[in-house]
Amino acid sequence: MNSHHPARAGLAASLTLGLVATLAACSAEAGASSEQSYESWDEVVAAAEGQTVKLWMYGGDEQGNAYVNDVLVPAAAEQGVTLEQVPIADTPDALNRILSEVQAGETDGEVDLVWVNGNNFGTGKEAGAWECGWTDLLPNMALTDPADPLLLDDFGTPVDGCEAPWHKAQFTFVYNSDTVTDVPSTLDELLDWARANPGRFTYPAPPDFTGSVFVREVLYSVSGGYENVPLAYSEEAFEELTPALYDELTDLAPSLWRGGETYPQNSNELNELFANGEVDVTMTYGPATLTELVADGTYPAGTQVLTLDEGTVGNASFLGLAWTSGSKAGAMVVANLALSVEQQVAKAEPDVWGQFTVLDLDQLSDEERALFEALPTSPVVPSYDVLSENANPELAAAWVTPIDEAWRAQVLAR
Amino acid sequence: MARSGARAVGTTITALDRQAAGVSPRGSRRWSSIALVAPAVLIALFVVGGGIGFSLVQSLGLLPLVGEASLSLDAYLANGDDLVRGIGLSLAIATASTALSCLIGLTAALVITQGRTTGRVVAGLSALTIPVPHLVGAASVGLLLSDAGIIPRLFGIPGTEWPDIVGGSWWIAVVLEYTWKESAFVALVVAGVLASRVARYDETAALLGASRARRLRHVVIPLARPAVIVSAIIIFVYTLGSYEVAWLLGRPYPEPLPVLAFRLFTSITLTARPEAAAVAVVTTLISLAVVALGMAALRRTPLWK
Repeated sequence: MNSHHPARAGLAASLTLGLVATLAACSAEAGASSEQSYESWDEVVAAAEGQTVKLWMYGGDEQGNAYVNDVLVPAAAEQGVTLEQVPIADTPDALNRILSEVQAGETDGEVDLVWVNGNNFGTGKEAGAWECGWTDLLPNMALTDPADPLLLDDFGTPVDGCEAPWHKAQFTFVYNSDTVTDVPSTLDELLDWARANPGRFTYPAPPDFTGSVFVREVLYSVSGGYENVPLAYSEEAFEELTPALYDELTDLAPSLWRGGETYPQNSNELNELFANGEVDVTMTYGPATLTELVADGTYPAGTQVLTLDEGTVGNASFLGLAWTSGSKAGAMVVANLALSVEQQVAKAEPDVWGQFTVLDLDQLSDEERALFEALPTSPVVPSYDVLSENANPELAAAWVTPIDEAWRAQVLAR
Repeated sequence: MARSGARAVGTTITALDRQAAGVSPRGSRRWSSIALVAPAVLIALFVVGGGIGFSLVQSLGLLPLVGEASLSLDAYLANGDDLVRGIGLSLAIATASTALSCLIGLTAALVITQGRTTGRVVAGLSALTIPVPHLVGAASVGLLLSDAGIIPRLFGIPGTEWPDIVGGSWWIAVVLEYTWKESAFVALVVAGVLASRVARYDETAALLGASRARRLRHVVIPLARPAVIVSAIIIFVYTLGSYEVAWLLGRPYPEPLPVLAFRLFTSITLTARPEAAAVAVVTTLISLAVVALGMAALRRTPLWK
C-alpha cells in the first residue's frame, strides 16, 4: 500500500506544476511594455538597421506572395531591413498569435507586421494587439489624402495611427459572359438570375471574408440601399433589418450550387468552382488579379466584371504593427517603403499584383503621376474609377460577427 | 483479479528481496526503476497535464482574454446545438473509419502473413502508405474525387452527376482518407504480431486436421485480437481529434469537434476562446472514455496478461 504513495504524489505534483507554470506564464501580464518611442524618422531608420521583420499575410494569393518576395523584400534589404513573409490561411491566425503573446507578456513576438483590416483590426485594437500612433512618423504618409474616409476609419473603427495604409480594394462580382447572356445590373437582378439558373451560383460560407461581404451586400440590397442601414451597429437595427436578409438568402438557397445544402468553405473554393465551369459567377475583393487569371487560362476567356448600378463595397487594407513586435523600427521602415511611389506603382501593375493604390494622385509630382497613368489597361477589369463608382461604405466591424453568426444559425443550419 | 494477483506476486517478491538483501527495507531496485521512468513520466504529465489543465481552466471562464474571470459553464452551453451535432458527427466518422480500417487492415495482415508474392506486395504498399502525411493524403483524395477531380474528368462525368464524395453530407471522402492510411497501420501492426506467433499454431492446427475456416476462426483471429483492439483504440482517438482531413474534405456544417474547436479558437470574437477550450475538453473526455472502454475490452481477451 505504502509503496504506491511516492508515484501518486509525483503525479499530483507534476500535474500541479504543469498547470501552475502555464498559468504563471499567462499572468505575466502586460506590465513590462516593449514601449520604445521614436522622436524622429531618422531615429527610426537608425534603429531599423539590421532588424528582421516578419510580415504575416494571407498566403492564398500567389501574385501577392510573388510581389512581397520578389519586389518588396529586396527593396527592404536595400534599406538594411530583412523582411520575411509568413503566409497564413486566414488573418485571424496572426491576430490570435499576437493576442496569445500579449497574454503571455511577450515583447519580442513572432509577429511584426500584419496585412489587416476590418473586424480583425477592430477586435485587435479593442484587445490592445496593435502599436498605435506611429504612422505620423512615416514620410510617405504625406502622399496620401489626409481626408480620405477609407484611410481614416477601417470598417467604422478609427485608424488612429495603429496601421499604415497599403492598398484599396473594391468588392467585385465576376461572371462568365459565354454562359451568362442576360447580364444582371443590380444585386437583386443577380439573385433573380441565380433563381432562374439553378445550381449556377453560390457564395463562400461566412465567416469567410468574401462570403461575409456578399451577405452584407445583400443586406444593403434588401434594405433598399446602403443609405438605409446605419453603419454603427445596434441591436435594434439588427433586429429590424436582418430578418429580410435571412429570408432572402433562405429563399435563394435551393437555387444555389448543390441545392444550397452546403457552401464553398472559402473564396478559393468558389474560385475553383468558377474556374472549373461549375458556377457562372464568382466574387472577389481583388479584381485586379483577374487579368492574369484569364490570360493564363485559369478562368474562362469570357470572364468579365459585373458592375452593379447601386455600386459595391470598397475599403482599404493596411499594415498593422503588432504591439508585441520586437522590431518596431524595422516594421515602420517597411510600412513607409510599402507606401512609396515606386512600390505602389509596382504593386498596381496588373501582372505583378494589380492592387489599387492608396496614394492621392493630386499629391504627387507630374512624373510620379505619369507612372500611374502609364499602367496598362486590362481587357477584363475596368479602371478603379469605374469600379469604385457609387462605392458603398463598409458596415462597422461590430456588425460583421452578428451577421455571420446569424447566417450560420439561420441559413447554413436550416 | 489479474491485477491484484500481480500485486500479490509483487509483494512476495519484494518480501523475498528484503530477506535476501537483509539491508534496506525497501529494496533499491524499486527506487532505481522509478528513477529511470520518472523523467519521461514527468515530462509527459507536465505537457499533457498542463495543456489539458489550461484548457479546462479556460473553458470554465477563469482565463478570459477580456473582462473579469468568473467560474461558469457558459462556454459549454454557448454552442449547445453545434456541440451535440459535432459529437455525433465526430463519433460517426471515427467509428466508420475505425471499423473499416480494422476490417481491411486485418485482411491485409492475413495476406501479408501468407508470405507469397502478393503478401510482399501488400506489405510493401502498406509500408509505403505509412510515411505519407494525412494532409497530403487528404489533398490527393480531394484532387481525385471532388466534383471536378481527376477521376470524374477521366471518365468525362460532369460535376453535377458525380456523387458528392468530397464535401457531401455523408463525409465519404473523410472516411476514405482515414481508412486508406489507417488500414495500412493496422495491417503492419497485426502482421507483425501474427508473423511471430501464428505460423506454429496454424501448422499444429492444420496437422490436427482443422480446416482453413476453422483455423482462421479459432487460431488466427484470437491471436490477432489484442493487436487489432490496440490499433482500433489508437485510430479512433486519432480520427476523433484530427483536424486537417475533416476540414479539407468536409463541409461547413455540421462541423466535427476539432473543426468546431479551431473555428471558435480563431474566431474574431474574443469571448469565443473559452468556448473553443470547452469543445477541446469535451473531445478529450470522449477520447479518455474510449481508451478506458478499449482497455477493458483488451483485458477480457484471453491472451492479454
